[in-house]
Amino acid sequence: MNTLHQFKMMFLAQLKLTLREKQAWFWGIFFPVILMVIFMVIFSGNSDEEFKTEVAIVEPSPNPASEMMLSQISELPVIEVKSGKPVTRKKAEEWVKDQEVDAAIILPESAEASSVLLVVNKENEQGAAAQAVSGILDKFVQQANLLAAGASPKYDLQYESITSGTNELDYTDFLLTGMIALSIAQGGMFGMVDLVEMRRKGLIKRLRMTPANMGIFGLSDMVMRLLFSIVQIILLSLIGVLVFGANLYINTFTLIIVFLIGALSFNALGYFFSSFSKTTEAYMGVANICSFLMMFLSGVFFPIETMPEWIQPISAVLPLTYFADGLRESMVYETGIATASLWAGIAVMVIWGAVTFLLGSVLYKRKTIAADR
Amino acid sequence: MTVLEVRNLQKSFGSIKAVQDISFSVHAGEVFTIIGPNGAGKTTTLEMIEGLVSPDNGVIHFGELDWNKHAVSIKKKIGVQPQSSAMFDLLTPEENLNLFASFYDHARPTEEILEIVNLTEHRKNHVKKLSGGQRQRLAIGLALISDPEIIFLDEPTTGLDPQARRNIWDIILHLKELGKTTILTTHYMEEAEKLSDRVCIVDQGNVITLDSPSALIEKLTDEREIRLSFLDGEKAAEDADGFSKELASVSKTEREGAALKIWASKPEETLLDLFKFTKDKSYGVEQVSIREMSLEDVFIAFTGKEWRD
Repeated sequence: MNTLHQFKMMFLAQLKLTLREKQAWFWGIFFPVILMVIFMVIFSGNSDEEFKTEVAIVEPSPNPASEMMLSQISELPVIEVKSGKPVTRKKAEEWVKDQEVDAAIILPESAEASSVLLVVNKENEQGAAAQAVSGILDKFVQQANLLAAGASPKYDLQYESITSGTNELDYTDFLLTGMIALSIAQGGMFGMVDLVEMRRKGLIKRLRMTPANMGIFGLSDMVMRLLFSIVQIILLSLIGVLVFGANLYINTFTLIIVFLIGALSFNALGYFFSSFSKTTEAYMGVANICSFLMMFLSGVFFPIETMPEWIQPISAVLPLTYFADGLRESMVYETGIATASLWAGIAVMVIWGAVTFLLGSVLYKRKTIAADR
Repeated sequence: MTVLEVRNLQKSFGSIKAVQDISFSVHAGEVFTIIGPNGAGKTTTLEMIEGLVSPDNGVIHFGELDWNKHAVSIKKKIGVQPQSSAMFDLLTPEENLNLFASFYDHARPTEEILEIVNLTEHRKNHVKKLSGGQRQRLAIGLALISDPEIIFLDEPTTGLDPQARRNIWDIILHLKELGKTTILTTHYMEEAEKLSDRVCIVDQGNVITLDSPSALIEKLTDEREIRLSFLDGEKAAEDADGFSKELASVSKTEREGAALKIWASKPEETLLDLFKFTKDKSYGVEQVSIREMSLEDVFIAFTGKEWRD
């Protein structure tokens, strides 16, 4: 038997079936794109702009020290001085109260009185802007102190953005990789509905009446699904990078490993669902519950650390958590393959995949005799 | 020549004995029909022969081949159209046939099959959009793609309109001309009578009887049913009823108003006597008919069940 020809014909059939199935397009391509765009627009609308904060400056009595500070603060790109010049203390406090500015900076009254006062709104005390202004000012004052002591700074902190390790990542990158993980996971979990439908219609039985090699059939199906997932990755990445300015630093080898393991184990999960679902409705119900749970508990949209602590152990066993993490490692941090935490995640996915596949196979075998009676 | 031999097949599902004891053999080139009421074990029997269900007991031989040792060879030899007529709905008939053709070493050209099942016109439409009859013809086409020696058709005409049913009959008769062996199940007695060389009646998992349709009818009885209706109303029918009961060849009569049914073993003679009687009495006869026994009567006689279409 010409195995290659059989594979080719089966693959072509799968390709046509996928291309002609509107549901596949909607859920596999259109839905993740829309979902990602919505989330990006809502949560990272400003992420392209640099962090900026608006402050009021009060200069009770202009003196050389305060003049110098004023000119230097005005030059800081992240701090914008409201109305461009110093205002009265009263006015500044009013602005702070009304939250028109993030903070008011009160400069020293004389060259000798070297204290700089920072006034922030109590409500915003822990806010990012107040923290940032305080941090900037703190450093600023230190430098001023050094200057005043006549010492030139020996150590100089310089910022450089690099994309590895524990570096904080942009929300766009975070969401993009999360969405890619989610759509591949959903592709696997929902995609196996075909199998339920084929069984219900008696197509699997029909194929078994021919000398067709069912292994080749399964393989062609799998190759088709992987291709579809690659399309998802490329499409979502393109939108993320071109429209939302995501920064990707891809380690191709790690990505391939994570992608293959993840896609296969979510397909195994779908295979398991299909083994005990008699109807497509039953299957979709199960797949929906699982996908919903994972969508919100696996750090797709928000980092797991922001969730209540009692939920975090659940996240720690879900495969999507590790799939999303793995994709982040390989697509954003450019992590190499030899990383312990990466392999721990891969191990979790492999366990999920292997266990669900075996369970599914057992259920399928047990049912073949009584099937469709 | 025997192409398929089935001996003492048995199959139970839990406590239900679907097939108790079924044996028959099928000859090359014939149309062999299995009929029986719902739940008689027809489909289970077919599925065991097709290798989908393994029998608890019994023997299935395709010539020298059996499922345990020659599964692939048997699959290449048989073509199956299952009851569910399963196929890929989003592919066209042509694509379905091409795909199935790739499963075999020596498949027939797709165009030829499309021609046989009369789907050339619809080759490029998605299966989803085909009518019930067209789908069923495609299912038969898929069974033929491997150019099989033995073809199994499981209720190929169920749910089809008379025209579509006739189309399928033509296909089956065409297959017979080509020298193929067809094993058919059906719900329609007319179909079984028209198409089959031999009919096997199955009930409660057993073979009740097996023979050609005409032999079955002859075996059943040589009686025929005569129907008469009288222009002169009930009185005439009553008199004729009384007269015919005296005749030696009449076994039973039934009267309903002016209509009379008479069962007689020598129907021509009985009619002659009856007409003599009505002429003497000068009763006018409106309608006369002799009804041939059909396979349906055979079925009812053997299974004691009304036939349900």
